[in-house]
Amino acid sequence: MTFPTRQAASPTALDDGPRAAADPTDPADEAPPAAAPAPAEPADGVLLDGVLKRYGPQTVLDVPRLHIPRQSFTVLVGPSGCGKSTGLRVVSGLETPDAGTVTINGRDVTAEPPGGRGVSMVFQDFALYPHLTVEQNIAFSLRLAAKHDRRGGPNRAEIERRVADACEMLGLGPLRRRRPGQLSGGERQRVGLARAVVRRPEVLLLDEPLSALDAQLRQHARAELIRLHRELGNTVVLVTHDQLEALSMGTHLVVMRGGKVVQAGTPTDVYHQPAHTFVATFVGSPAMNLHEVDVVTDAQGSGLRAAGLRATVPTAVGSDRVLVGWRPADGELSSLDGDADSAGPAGPGLTVTGTVDVVEFTGDSAVVHGIARESAGGGQDLKWTVVIPARRPAPAVGARVAVHVPPAHLHFFDPADGHRLGDGS
Amino acid sequence: MRSPDTVPATTATTAAPPPARPARPGGRAARGARAAGRHTVLVLTAVALLFPLLWGLSGSFKPGADVFGANPVPVPATLENYRFALEDFPIARLMLNTFVTAISVTALQLAAGALAAWSFVRFAHRGQRAVLGLVTVALVVPPQALIIPQFLMISHLHLRNTLVGLVVPQLSTCALAVLLLREHIRSIPQTLLGAATLDGATHGETLRLVVLPLLRPALGAVGIIVFITTWNEYLWPVLAAPSPEHTTIQTGLRLFANQEGPDYGPLLAAAMLATLPVVAVYLLASRRITDAFLQSGLR
Repeated sequence: MTFPTRQAASPTALDDGPRAAADPTDPADEAPPAAAPAPAEPADGVLLDGVLKRYGPQTVLDVPRLHIPRQSFTVLVGPSGCGKSTGLRVVSGLETPDAGTVTINGRDVTAEPPGGRGVSMVFQDFALYPHLTVEQNIAFSLRLAAKHDRRGGPNRAEIERRVADACEMLGLGPLRRRRPGQLSGGERQRVGLARAVVRRPEVLLLDEPLSALDAQLRQHARAELIRLHRELGNTVVLVTHDQLEALSMGTHLVVMRGGKVVQAGTPTDVYHQPAHTFVATFVGSPAMNLHEVDVVTDAQGSGLRAAGLRATVPTAVGSDRVLVGWRPADGELSSLDGDADSAGPAGPGLTVTGTVDVVEFTGDSAVVHGIARESAGGGQDLKWTVVIPARRPAPAVGARVAVHVPPAHLHFFDPADGHRLGDGS
Repeated sequence: MRSPDTVPATTATTAAPPPARPARPGGRAARGARAAGRHTVLVLTAVALLFPLLWGLSGSFKPGADVFGANPVPVPATLENYRFALEDFPIARLMLNTFVTAISVTALQLAAGALAAWSFVRFAHRGQRAVLGLVTVALVVPPQALIIPQFLMISHLHLRNTLVGLVVPQLSTCALAVLLLREHIRSIPQTLLGAATLDGATHGETLRLVVLPLLRPALGAVGIIVFITTWNEYLWPVLAAPSPEHTTIQTGLRLFANQEGPDYGPLLAAAMLATLPVVAVYLLASRRITDAFLQSGLR
């Protein structure tokens, strides 16, 4: 079995089927060879091609190519200032890119006005018109369309029907005559959604729509959005800085940093095969453990040796120094008490030892923070975290423990640039 | 009469509740003394400000022989001055002229101010600061400095003693309206304008359907300032419309002057009547006016 020596950050096509609302005959579902340089085929969904956006000297968005498949629920995720909101605004037309094109379902909309692109957007603050009632807010775009196009636009009966449909879909019936100032946060969010879906957009853009809600409501709203996506069957692009939201809601994830796409793929791909240490530590909580270690070759073969750490390395990792990573949930904790000199269980994979520093109880699990002191001096202490089910007794603080991670759950990265190496098995 | 409680809900976006007063040290007695001192100052200021008005009010009820007397209370009192002002003097005509002038100037300044302010926020990206600087300069240029060129202009255009000649040059002071409305438009969240754009609204529709309705409190406040200023304007009507048929009330009060000097009793009575509309505006919209001055920083 061979491994590509480096799996580069690949902002190319995300061509896996959408989780919920997939149309099995959708051409976007047929996976083309991922490595092929993408030709300018008329892609379904949203395609950003060579998009560049600068504010003064600062480049806030630099996307050589990003394909958001039709009918997917795509989440742009990254820390604040990573360009995700700018990306969304470029798709909406509220921002004009300095270079590149935006294509929606095969139609180049780069020069189209925001209102003519078939996109609608829910803003972070919902941006409801405060002087209009819920009903008038929702009907606003339809009334304008009727005015602009007296023959082709919707007539009064159709507006009334579509507003009623949107209200029903989002449970706004009793609130139709209220003004935004009289609504709670969750209700405002639903009005914002109703106003966006009433136009039947090809692409629905959501700019951190959950961040203004309190934690309890957010959980509920997440499920609501997934259900809405299933009912509408259109393309949804959501922006969030919350990686948990991204993992739980998206059928596709686009992880961004510094205006660039670091990795794009399904949530499982991004979670299990992070293309870069940034993705590895940003996605998943608690963050992935990363240790920078020399690769040594001795009588036992190639492997990693450091104070409190021992691991096997797949041959594909052709490097003398690597960052080895493992998720806290993938580690198996065992006690070393009474066997202070043991290096822990042997076998392929990675074993770290150390003493328990802090134990956080989180309800259904506990997070154990361990530390392996660098006894030889000169090096750094090895710190790690591991998640154990709460049913198991948590180790006492100060206890000596070992954690074993099977080889399939190890991730290797280039310490120089953070890119993924090999495949860890 | 509109009570202050019935202002539209949108006022809430501009009139934030005053921040809670921080607790100050000191006992109850010290607090009481401070409050007493503060109130003394306020009462004295109010009396000083009110004195000319009250003296004029008192004088307007005094018979001719008593006008120069030192008695602050008009005893014996008479309504003769008011009868004279209302019957032998074209006060209704002057009031109507003033009202039409003030309303026209207010409407035109609001229209110009709203359009200019919207352009500043929406369109002027390059050179915005330079143009804004010019508008600010226009704000600080004393109106008197413009009076001679404006007078020459309307004279050449044969617009003296016309409503147009009286009204249009008073638009030269609309810088205040532009700047105040610009501040208010800027306080409208960008996302709201973005939502209107995405909903397919043109620039004009966004202004008409979203911005202006949200600007109503600000338009009211600015309108009140402009209305009162125009009502009280003296110098420009003297020059632009000196004839009794076309001039405004403030200028018209001069008509009481004769060879022996002003006839003070009827003059004061007419002045009191001329103040009534302004007082009425204050009474009806005192909350708005306070907001207007607080927001304009003109305290």
